[in-house]
Amino acid sequence: MNGQRLGTIVGLELTQRTRSVAWYVLLGVFALLLLIVTALSFLAWGSAYRPGGAIYSTIVYITLLLVVLVSPTLSGNAINGDRDAATLAPVQVTLATTLEILIGKFLAAWVTGLAFVAVSVPFLVVATLAGGGAPATIAVSLLVLVFEAGIISAIGVALSGILSRPLFSVATTYLVVAALVIGTLIAFALVGFTLRSEVTNHYRSIEFDQYSGDTFPCMPGETPSSEYPCDDDVEVRCGPWQTSTYEVPRFDHVWWLLAANPFVILADATPTQYDEHGNPSDLFGQIKYGVRSAQQPPDLEQRWDDCAPPSESERTVPAEVIDESTPSWFVGMALQLLLAAALMWWAWARTRTPAGRLPTGTRIA
Amino acid sequence: MSTPSPGPQGPAPGISAEPGIVVQGVQRAFGDVQAVRSVTLRAHAGRVTGLVGPNGSGKTTLLLMLASLLAPDAGSIRIDGVDPVTDPQAARALLGWMPDALGAWNSLTSRETLAVTGRLYGMPRAEASVRADVLLGEVELADLADAPARVLSRGQKQRLGLARALVHDPRVLLLDEPASGLDPQARIDLRMLLRRFAAEGRTVLVSSHILSELEEVVDDAVFLMAGVTVDPARVEAASRRARPWRVRLAGTEAAAAAPSVAAVLRLPAASVGVDRRDVVVSFESDDAAAAALRELVAAGLDIVEFAAAQGALERTFLDLGDGRPPQALPPDAGADESGAIS
Repeated sequence: MNGQRLGTIVGLELTQRTRSVAWYVLLGVFALLLLIVTALSFLAWGSAYRPGGAIYSTIVYITLLLVVLVSPTLSGNAINGDRDAATLAPVQVTLATTLEILIGKFLAAWVTGLAFVAVSVPFLVVATLAGGGAPATIAVSLLVLVFEAGIISAIGVALSGILSRPLFSVATTYLVVAALVIGTLIAFALVGFTLRSEVTNHYRSIEFDQYSGDTFPCMPGETPSSEYPCDDDVEVRCGPWQTSTYEVPRFDHVWWLLAANPFVILADATPTQYDEHGNPSDLFGQIKYGVRSAQQPPDLEQRWDDCAPPSESERTVPAEVIDESTPSWFVGMALQLLLAAALMWWAWARTRTPAGRLPTGTRIA
Repeated sequence: MSTPSPGPQGPAPGISAEPGIVVQGVQRAFGDVQAVRSVTLRAHAGRVTGLVGPNGSGKTTLLLMLASLLAPDAGSIRIDGVDPVTDPQAARALLGWMPDALGAWNSLTSRETLAVTGRLYGMPRAEASVRADVLLGEVELADLADAPARVLSRGQKQRLGLARALVHDPRVLLLDEPASGLDPQARIDLRMLLRRFAAEGRTVLVSSHILSELEEVVDDAVFLMAGVTVDPARVEAASRRARPWRVRLAGTEAAAAAPSVAAVLRLPAASVGVDRRDVVVSFESDDAAAAALRELVAAGLDIVEFAAAQGALERTFLDLGDGRPPQALPPDAGADESGAIS
């Protein structure tokens, strides 16, 4: 890997992109869409209590959506498009190595994707000024946007090296993006419901039919008072223990599938602000709570006893659930990195020269 | 040609240290299509070698293998002693390759194209930019240095492609159909450039099917038919076969002149053909042609033109293309072929 050659390839790619009018049109359309979305989210959340967080998270999500939708077109024909235009071989025949070409094209596609993130910054500033996110939220959400733009650029460049037809590789990049955004949700739900476990539920109740007095008995743990004159002398009879079973989905086995979703990564990585009840105060936090809850294994042995005094309720607040669970953004990013690196390696093997076996229909020059 | 003497420990078997291109038994298939079946050739340093063959004979595939872009299925290649398969980086530093399908970065100017290529060969920015200007002058593109490549004509792009192949001052030049799309002046310039390169001790391998073009520039020729290099002995035999000569008499129609030429040379009238203004006669060798010219002049015919009707390359190429083993033909078989021309 040579810095000068790598820099030259990145420069070459960026020069070609910035000299096309289409690219500026695309940036303009992107800015226009963000403008509309920002205006709409101000209108939509205007009446909410402290709308800043909601507006901010909406705009960040829309930005992520647009970046995810635009990036495949910026990278999905990097290698095979050059091969079609007969401009790949003249680079391969220089001292630039296959790895430098791949990495250079990836970096160029990434920087191009980041231009879209840069366009979104003014809108994020507006949302922040309107009372939105904390500095940590802004910093982390921007970092995740940058990371996701990079992952999709890497996948696009890699697929363009693996598949020989540009149209096909762009479409495949879109399919991979769709798999990450929607496919993870579907897989999470379907696999989660497929892996079921049996929950055994033991319960017993008080047999009121056996009691015929006029007063009403005190329940276990209750004491009579003037406002609540229950009869402490009557002994309530408890029924026999009964057992029933039912099945629950095991999302705790497949939560990592959901973790690979870019939107989940964004939500999960962002530090959550809680309200006074320990509930997350923005969209990111609520999604994060949902994903982290999925990590909790279900209780497979449940007991329900009416005759025992009610135990102190152990309802866990979202803040605790989140604190005690594995950060899923970390897992998600690791999975995405693994996918991108594996595809890159495959593309490297396919693009390497002197070329051995060629994919059918490929011309080297 | 000076071969570096092998070191004391170096057995240096055969080819490794030899400058130029040495190809031994190279094969390459694409799926079921055997593009190159068996290629063995040498292109010597200091000479221009022509690679001649019909469309689809494997010329481009062979050049891709020489350019280190394609790995051969079998056989060995040495570019100035470097194996492009095992050490492509070293081979790429040595060779300049001009592809037949010429891709240019459309939004870059000619100067930028050459400067970027120079940078990819590791030149510092300033050096690459100086080199770009020198080359633009050399291929007569200086006027278009700042025009984007998309406005260049086919011939201009071809010249840019040639300049790009020369950026790093390569020792070995591989040119795939370099003359296509070039105007006559550019062809002459190209020819002079290739001669100069050879004179500087570099190796030049040019593929083309414009044989008259190659004829004027090559020192050696390698014939490639259906993926196989033709045995030099067979090429030699084919080139020795009778070839047609054009004879033109002043003030006489060719049809009228043909019988008198036949009579002087004591040939059957049917073996002397007519092609437009010229009488066409076959001779087995240059010596036979010279003797015939003497006879014709001595007989008082007003010869104004006496020239080989076909270049040696073209003749050889066509003979090889017949698919008949040339040695099986009778020595005077050229007679009926000269008739076929008329």
